[in-house]
Amino acid sequence: MAVTRRTGILIVLCIAAAAIIIAWRPTVLIYGIQQAGLYAAIAIPMGLVLGIVHIVNLAHGEFMMVAAYATYFACKALGMDPLLAVLPAAAVTAGFGWIVFQLTIKRALKAPELNQLILTFGLGIVMSQGVNLLFTSQTRKISLDYVSASMDIGDLSFGIWSFVFVAVAVVYAYGLKFFLTRTTLGKAALAVGQNPRGAAIVGIDVNRVYGIVFALALALVGGMGALFITKAAIFPMVGAPFTMKSFCLVAVAGIGNIPGILGASVLLGLSESILRAFRETRGWADIVFFVLIIVVILGRSLKWSFPLKGRKA
Amino acid sequence: MILEIAGLETGYGKLRVLSGVSLSIGAESVGLFGPNGAGKTTLINTIMGMNRVWKGSVRFEGRDIGGLPTHEVARAGIALVPQERELFPLMSVADNLALGAAFIPHVVSRKEELLEQVLALFPILKERYRQLAGTMSGGQQRQVAIGRALMANPKLLILDEPSLGLQPSIVAEVFERLGQLKKTVSILVTEQNVRESLRAVDRGLVLENGAIVIEGTAAELARNPHVERSYLGI
Repeated sequence: MAVTRRTGILIVLCIAAAAIIIAWRPTVLIYGIQQAGLYAAIAIPMGLVLGIVHIVNLAHGEFMMVAAYATYFACKALGMDPLLAVLPAAAVTAGFGWIVFQLTIKRALKAPELNQLILTFGLGIVMSQGVNLLFTSQTRKISLDYVSASMDIGDLSFGIWSFVFVAVAVVYAYGLKFFLTRTTLGKAALAVGQNPRGAAIVGIDVNRVYGIVFALALALVGGMGALFITKAAIFPMVGAPFTMKSFCLVAVAGIGNIPGILGASVLLGLSESILRAFRETRGWADIVFFVLIIVVILGRSLKWSFPLKGRKA
Repeated sequence: MILEIAGLETGYGKLRVLSGVSLSIGAESVGLFGPNGAGKTTLINTIMGMNRVWKGSVRFEGRDIGGLPTHEVARAGIALVPQERELFPLMSVADNLALGAAFIPHVVSRKEELLEQVLALFPILKERYRQLAGTMSGGQQRQVAIGRALMANPKLLILDEPSLGLQPSIVAEVFERLGQLKKTVSILVTEQNVRESLRAVDRGLVLENGAIVIEGTAAELARNPHVERSYLGI
């Protein structure tokens, strides 16, 4: 209990410090939430795969990168807006994911976890290096006017486009929650995630459900790939940090806790935003997720209680 | 005959567990008895497609199901209540029962009617309908597992050690329910509680060292000196 009280005090002090900083520089809050939306929208599909298929997909960010490249070239060739490519990108990435699952991941499902990690890590390398060979490491970007839209509130001026990621994250989280708890296929997926042997006994084709869930997760990542290119430049290694940050968020939220990923993303987004607000700490922003995951894992090991511990999806 | 097994051989890795098992089950309830390690669960797992058939055949309603995956065996009309229950612990009793019927093509349209029958057979499940299955007692979880299997309206119900880990009063209740069920569905039940189960089944088989060594009606088995000595403690 003493540890819990001390943790509680620490959390209250952190929240108070964050509140002071946010009151002093409100854009920290705005950009933190926008960043949180981006992280959550990318991490939620990883949480889905980990919660149901029980594999850590270390090629997660690379799938998004491939979808972003496909979107980039489709938009350049057809003169199309990336927003129109969101659904096609999702469909194509889902199909790609289904094929990758059937050819590789399905065969490693009963293998030791280390083999699965090496497999998906290898898939990630093949994708990033494949794109590098085909398209070079040159960064690519699509310039869009609406991305620079901003809003003024009093003296405060900030970009608003990135709020689209917040909306997508919320739609992903609650859309998946609806799918998993209200539809027969979603309940079958939950059943498979909780007990694959029990699921097979009631007539559920477990491998097919795994394939569908993996493809669904990649559809969500593919859609994010198309949206990502509206905001950021892409290059072959652009996905890797998102794999690590997604894994961090899923670990912080707890396996299978999809709404919890939203909370964890806010924590990460705000932490990064606060560090970026000061010149002296700006360089630390990209590694704050390491600190976060170490604190959470340490806390879980010492059985601290965390406010992010939430319900399972 | 609903289930016909002929010359079945199977095992794990290089270890042979069943060597030439043959049996058939019609519209009846059959008890499969034997000591630990005799191969009872292996036989059930092989029927359910969880173990590969090395040699011999497993036919269900005349169809060879020896190479089918588990979900297709279930869809063909065989429901299993496993030793470890294998429920979905973070889902409600309602969802566990619903999933019992959701993927069995011939019962999807009858799930409401089947649910009523199951809840009538196990009234406690009606009381605990919204409770998470993982939070229930062992006996209640066993009832959820049997109810989930019955939701598939199976032609053959297989129960693997249904009394395992249950207190005596619950065991009696489980066998009472089995007695009711055998009027409507063929049953294959493995048990170590031979005395109790011989009251509930029509016929019995004794499996020892991977082979059927004794076969007969429940009354014949109850009088068999080997069964009396080894399983009834007489």
